[in-house]
Amino acid sequence: MKLEVCENKRIAKNTFSLKIDNPALFDASPGQFFMVKINDFDYPLLRRPFSIADFSDRYIEIIYKVVGEGTKILAGKQKGDFLDLLGPLGNGFGDIKKGKKIFLVGGGIGAAPLIYLSNTLKSMYGISYEAYFGFNTKDEIYVDFGKTATMDGSSGYAGNVVDMIESQLDENCLVLACGPTLMLKRLAYVCYQKKCSMKVSLESRMACGIGVCLGCVVETTDKDFKRVCVEGPVFDYREIEWQAL
Amino acid sequence: MASSVNLTVKLGSLIFKNPVLTASGTFGYASEYKNYMDLNALGGFVVKGLSVNPKKGNKPPRIVETPCGMLNAIGLQNVGVDKFIKEKLPLLEDVDAHIIANIYGTKAEEFIKLAERLEGVGRVSALEVNVSCPNVSKGGALFGKNPNEVVKLASSVKKHTSKPVIVKLTPNVDDIAVIAKAACDGGADAVSLINTITGMVIDTKTKKPFLANKTGGLSGPAVYPVGVRMVYEVYEKIKVPIIGVGGIYNSDVALQYLMAGAALIEIGTANFTKPDVTIEIIKGIKEFLKVENIKSVGDIVGIAHSV
Repeated sequence: MKLEVCENKRIAKNTFSLKIDNPALFDASPGQFFMVKINDFDYPLLRRPFSIADFSDRYIEIIYKVVGEGTKILAGKQKGDFLDLLGPLGNGFGDIKKGKKIFLVGGGIGAAPLIYLSNTLKSMYGISYEAYFGFNTKDEIYVDFGKTATMDGSSGYAGNVVDMIESQLDENCLVLACGPTLMLKRLAYVCYQKKCSMKVSLESRMACGIGVCLGCVVETTDKDFKRVCVEGPVFDYREIEWQAL
Repeated sequence: MASSVNLTVKLGSLIFKNPVLTASGTFGYASEYKNYMDLNALGGFVVKGLSVNPKKGNKPPRIVETPCGMLNAIGLQNVGVDKFIKEKLPLLEDVDAHIIANIYGTKAEEFIKLAERLEGVGRVSALEVNVSCPNVSKGGALFGKNPNEVVKLASSVKKHTSKPVIVKLTPNVDDIAVIAKAACDGGADAVSLINTITGMVIDTKTKKPFLANKTGGLSGPAVYPVGVRMVYEVYEKIKVPIIGVGGIYNSDVALQYLMAGAALIEIGTANFTKPDVTIEIIKGIKEFLKVENIKSVGDIVGIAHSV
């Protein structure tokens, strides 16, 4: 469906917030994603998957980082332009039960879906949580809640976000995470050690987003492949064969 | 102006309501597309390549985008023929379009087993024999590059099925017409071409091939002139219908394939970007024929040869 761009502005270094008119035809849950066609013509050819950074009656928000040709073109979109969206797709974070201590842990652009998740936890479930976000530098930070860590020490905790929270995790915790593969790998290792639960949103290159191209698969612990677009993008971390990532 | 146009196409004993099919590997087991389009509108669809046993496929990364195209090395991940019959086919019970099973094996016996297994399955209208997958270490294009193997394989599948047999050809050969002729010598009822073109992308950051399989198959709009050229060449050399496939993303390219000599066409990668692209293409072909006052789609098949 073609939807109108309401706003597209820079919110941090190489990072943009894109607000798209919400036709109010469907619901979307935290962790789900949209496949966005950047252009009407065939370059770039494939749609790009973007997680949902917020979803209200008025708009769908996507937060993206300019990393390649597609996102560079996307950054040039202006109010009044139209974008072709497919979705919402995939399985999100699902039901979050009360009883566990909840940690939202995000890294870089991976913090985006956790913003919508945090809003939902608060407004729908009335569940409290702690949020921790890791960035490389201070000028990359685009979240306005939770505690932050920066690799260069320019803001908050100096170092990576996994080191920042490690000592707080135990078997009574539920971590909800999204971020770069290396960060998630380390986090998964820590969660195994501390026997804590974790749901993790994975990123992958995908061509279709609807389960047919089989391009986005990840290896699972039962020695099979699962599609990030359909079975994911949010998985229980125990399902994932982290060594293969 | 003609009031209505005839889009039907005959292939052996089968009648297709229009020439538009979907290509294997780009349309899943078809039911995945039910939410996005009316499957009944299609002439038919070719389902994901089936092997005797379930196949896990290649390690990721499996795909990478290229200018106006993509490279894939999925490695024929599929549920296996039995699960396809038991679990996937029933989802298509109410669909009025031909279902073509793409079959893949590492040796002739496996192709025969697949043909036999599907023989009693009435819902499957035809078999597309995959001798052209570039992304597997055994079988696939290793058969399809050798005309003698293609004759043998086509004739042995033919002996074990009453359904029309389509042989899908690889473009990664010196002369595709030689392979097409071999398929016909083996008794093929049709040939489909082209499968993907072998390619490679290197990640300059890691200094290694991007795909875990190293090489992959190039598809998408970028490859269509290669496909059109090959259909054109093959059309002059064989008598059986050609199914044109490769980079078709709109009705203009679809028409080019028909004019080059394809009786039917398969839409592949374009399904990923636009799940209902096939509907647009059918409409576009119809519109073109109306405007040109051409009564039947068959009238333009191979028309580019007459000039």
